[in-house]
Amino acid sequence: MTPLDVIWVGLGGGLGSLLRWWIGRLIGERYRSDFPLGTFLINVTGAFAMGYLSVLFMVDWRDRHGTALNSLVLTGVLGGYTTFSSMQLDAAKLAEQRGHVPAGFYLLLSVVVGLLAAALGSGLARAQG
Amino acid sequence: MLNYFIVVFVGGGGGLHSARVYHADVPNLADGFPMDILVANLVATFLLAVVTALHRRQIVSDRTNMLIGTGTMGGLSTFSSFAYGVVVLMSASTASAIVASVYVVTSLALGYVAVVVGLKIGGLSSP
Repeated sequence: MTPLDVIWVGLGGGLGSLLRWWIGRLIGERYRSDFPLGTFLINVTGAFAMGYLSVLFMVDWRDRHGTALNSLVLTGVLGGYTTFSSMQLDAAKLAEQRGHVPAGFYLLLSVVVGLLAAALGSGLARAQG
Repeated sequence: MLNYFIVVFVGGGGGLHSARVYHADVPNLADGFPMDILVANLVATFLLAVVTALHRRQIVSDRTNMLIGTGTMGGLSTFSSFAYGVVVLMSASTASAIVASVYVVTSLALGYVAVVVGLKIGGLSSP
């Protein structure tokens, strides 16, 4: 990892975080419910993009430092855009408001749909490849 | 509005920067278990919960909450690498599919513990 890679990752992470904040706000303004739809949609679309672009860029998923493009887009933008911590916090808030069953359902749904999205993304890229 | 843009951008970039520095020091285990992502996610989840609890008690300002919570901790944790890593492990072999399952369950269970403990330490009773 070179200092330049760190700059790419930081730049991408900033852009991705902004995108997450902006989309989260847009969804939050339009959709009012206890279900954390914003974080859910952000994570699912980010997982799809990660699967698709990883195959497209032909990178091993453990090699997140490879090129400037990998650093900027995969580790940076997508890493900053998607969030694991907010998902867990959303689940805890849901547990406070609605109980443990909806919270567990939200976590399970996020992971299952997220995995399907990542698989779909990489499958699509391979089918095109 | 512009100020918030800068706060989230700087926070997100800083979070990922620390993640990069951290990832360089935590090796992946030989069996393919993505320990670096798990640790980054758990640390970010715990600290996000602490900041959230402090924000609820108005000890932490809106702007600091955005910088650290939305920016840094959201940037440090990642769902996309988590999901894609699991998909790759699942499709590799039976052994790595088992590793992937353990990884998912461990991430969710410990992540939830991190939130509950974080909220408690930040000053709120657990949900």
